[in-house]
Amino acid sequence: MDNKINLNKEKSAASKGKTLLVAEHIDKRFGITHAVNDVSITIDAGEIRGLIGENGSGKSTFSQMLCGIYSIGGGTFTLNGKQIHPRNQVEANNEGIAIIVQEMGTLSGLTVAENIFLGHEGPFMHFGVKDSHAMNREAQRLLNEYGFGRIKAGDMIDHYNFEDRKLVEIVKATYMKPQILVVDETTTALSQNGRLELYKIMDAIRADGRTVIFISHDLGEVLTHTDSVTILRDGEYIGTVRTADMTEDDLKRLMVGREIGSSYYRDDYGEPIADEVVLSVDNVSVPGQISNVSFKLHRGEILGFGGLSECGMHEVGKAIFAASWDRSGSVTLADGTAINSITTAINHSIAYASKDRDNESIIVNESIRNNIVLPSIDDLAAKGVLNERKLTAFADKHAKDMQTKMQNVQQFVSDLSGGNKQKVVLARWLGKGSDILVLDSPTRGIDVKVKQAIYALMADLRRQGKSIIMISEEIPELLGMADRILVMKDGVINGEFMRDPALSEEDLIAKMV
Amino acid sequence: MQKNNNQQPSKLRAFLSSDTFKGLLPVIGLVVIVIVMNILTQGKILTAKRLRLLLSQVYYPMIVATGVFFVMTLGSIDFTEGSTLGLASIVISKLSFYSIPLAIAGGILTGAAIGAINGFFHVKFKLQSFIITICTMYLFRGVCAYMTTESAVPASAAIKALDLNWLKITITVAVLLIAWFLFRFTRIGYDVKAVGAGETAARFSGVKTDRVKFLVFVAAGALTGLAAFVNVIKVGSITATAGNQLETQILISLVLGGLPITGGAKVRFSNIIVGTLMYTVLNNGLVMMGFESQTQQLIKGIIFLLFVALTIDRKALKVIK
Repeated sequence: MDNKINLNKEKSAASKGKTLLVAEHIDKRFGITHAVNDVSITIDAGEIRGLIGENGSGKSTFSQMLCGIYSIGGGTFTLNGKQIHPRNQVEANNEGIAIIVQEMGTLSGLTVAENIFLGHEGPFMHFGVKDSHAMNREAQRLLNEYGFGRIKAGDMIDHYNFEDRKLVEIVKATYMKPQILVVDETTTALSQNGRLELYKIMDAIRADGRTVIFISHDLGEVLTHTDSVTILRDGEYIGTVRTADMTEDDLKRLMVGREIGSSYYRDDYGEPIADEVVLSVDNVSVPGQISNVSFKLHRGEILGFGGLSECGMHEVGKAIFAASWDRSGSVTLADGTAINSITTAINHSIAYASKDRDNESIIVNESIRNNIVLPSIDDLAAKGVLNERKLTAFADKHAKDMQTKMQNVQQFVSDLSGGNKQKVVLARWLGKGSDILVLDSPTRGIDVKVKQAIYALMADLRRQGKSIIMISEEIPELLGMADRILVMKDGVINGEFMRDPALSEEDLIAKMV
Repeated sequence: MQKNNNQQPSKLRAFLSSDTFKGLLPVIGLVVIVIVMNILTQGKILTAKRLRLLLSQVYYPMIVATGVFFVMTLGSIDFTEGSTLGLASIVISKLSFYSIPLAIAGGILTGAAIGAINGFFHVKFKLQSFIITICTMYLFRGVCAYMTTESAVPASAAIKALDLNWLKITITVAVLLIAWFLFRFTRIGYDVKAVGAGETAARFSGVKTDRVKFLVFVAAGALTGLAAFVNVIKVGSITATAGNQLETQILISLVLGGLPITGGAKVRFSNIIVGTLMYTVLNNGLVMMGFESQTQQLIKGIIFLLFVALTIDRKALKVIK
């Protein structure tokens, strides 16, 4: 292993600034969708290249072809002068390309070490028998080297939380010193600490003369952590720019293809919060998640919840909606109604959009129409009998109000992009006429254009007197949108901030960690 | 399929992969099977006498399939139809000596009770339906065997006198109409499809998922109990093999009818009718062509496998609940 590092270092010294990867006329279709359309890119050794674009711009599809997850639809990838055609991730690894993905990329039921060496068990196999001891020792050495010594190689991966599992994945993707590391929207799943660890590793890879392709929706981190940025739009190559010459607005404009207004977030400050309380949460606890959480939500207020991803704030949203297992304490409306079941919550005007959009918010394998009508179905029935045309008209109206990009409401949600799925979720609750909206990570994995629309909608709802609880891992959107922010740490509320232009990210982070 | 120009094949392929075509596939399959069977049996299957016989075999499987259709739409599965039919038939036969309405009620209640047991374990203990229903299948098959060890259980002459075509047709059509109405025009259909397509998201959208699942299992059991009545008036006495392998027959019928094995939003009510007819034609054709029962099973197995492989929606693929 040591020899290999030296070899790489020697090579990198010679190849600084040299072309590493040439992608020519890369193409990919999914059915009628032209996901990647004749994209040609050149990437140098020793750079961090940002790859940005709105949802559906083809950036993930492009990089996943490079990593052997999708088959290459057309064109060629040339790495160090040699054409490559990885048919799966292990082949891509052997060519020197590795990827870290947004969602869970480790396998439950295996140990940390087994996950790290998945597909590369060879060195630890003796006549078909695995030497677990040697594997654990090597894995632990790697974990220590990365500074993740608290993670034990011999433990089952299931013992660790999402964040730690992500760190294991980072080790898995980088220990073999890949020539190219693709980081595909990994940071949205990470807390501030985890992000810092990842940036350190990216910088180390660059210092070593190797390359990172960094895909992210967070343009702030793209600007601070990349050398150059390639922009894709609707599957087509738009251009590559030097990061140093760019501002966030420049990038947004290139991504969207038009000027984005300056009012991204709300721009009002100093409006008082109404005294009228619409929802009281008292001493709510969920074992192992949150303990004794109490707060009040006011009429026309956007109440933000921030914290690290495991701080319990996501469970607060579920608890209000009565979707937690084993909740104690009380959630009551202004009129004294206790919210103890999802049905009561929905019928008393509470809406909930989960962070896990595809599994908990929306029924992916169902039509847009049926997703929108589901909570309102009793209201739409006459003596229990439904009229299909009425349902279709109802869904059509609310989907169109949200400007959902679709053929018609009979289309399945599985065909839609993340941003449009979220629009369907919001259309459903606006259709129900909910007055209290609990939105967990409302803009997670959503592109700039839809994000802007969602912020505008939230500001609009607030003006109408609706109350919103916004749970978010993105500090800028908390600062930009909330009237009041509660910061959570280890399952309890650890700080409260009022809306203020002087409030900074650091103020919030100080209460999170 | 000559490539005349570039447009045609892609249009054809788009049509072949469209949902419209997939929805039509079972109907086309039914027509093809009828034609093929008609040729292979030299036209004997389409005689009036044969058709009457065919129809007489359709009633009770269609009633049972209606219940199982809802179970499978949930994304669950039920293997207890055969033993439920056997046990309910025994109950009906014994009660038929006292009162016919009592016998019918007894049959339906027996089925509903078995459905309730399945539903209870499925919902409360979060066990997968195919595990529970395999357990209860053996359990109630055992009870049937025990009750029929000495001799077959006879039914009263009064109940046998009800073996009238109009009665059986009325019951079957009534069941189909009511189920169709509930499926299309009440929230039940929407709830059941939503659970099959995504249970957690359905729960978070206000569907009382546990209650829906429990009630669907009870209803499926009750319908099998009603089907047992139709069975009793036809056969007159119940042996240990009553309803044997009915569960696989229903499963194959529904899948042949185009029901996705994963359930969810893409089910169609017509799956019940098309599937049951297809199975019955296929079954009769194989008998008339003189295949031995082992060979028949082999052929049915292959056709089933082909259909599942052709029709399964790989995007929606998950473990059957």
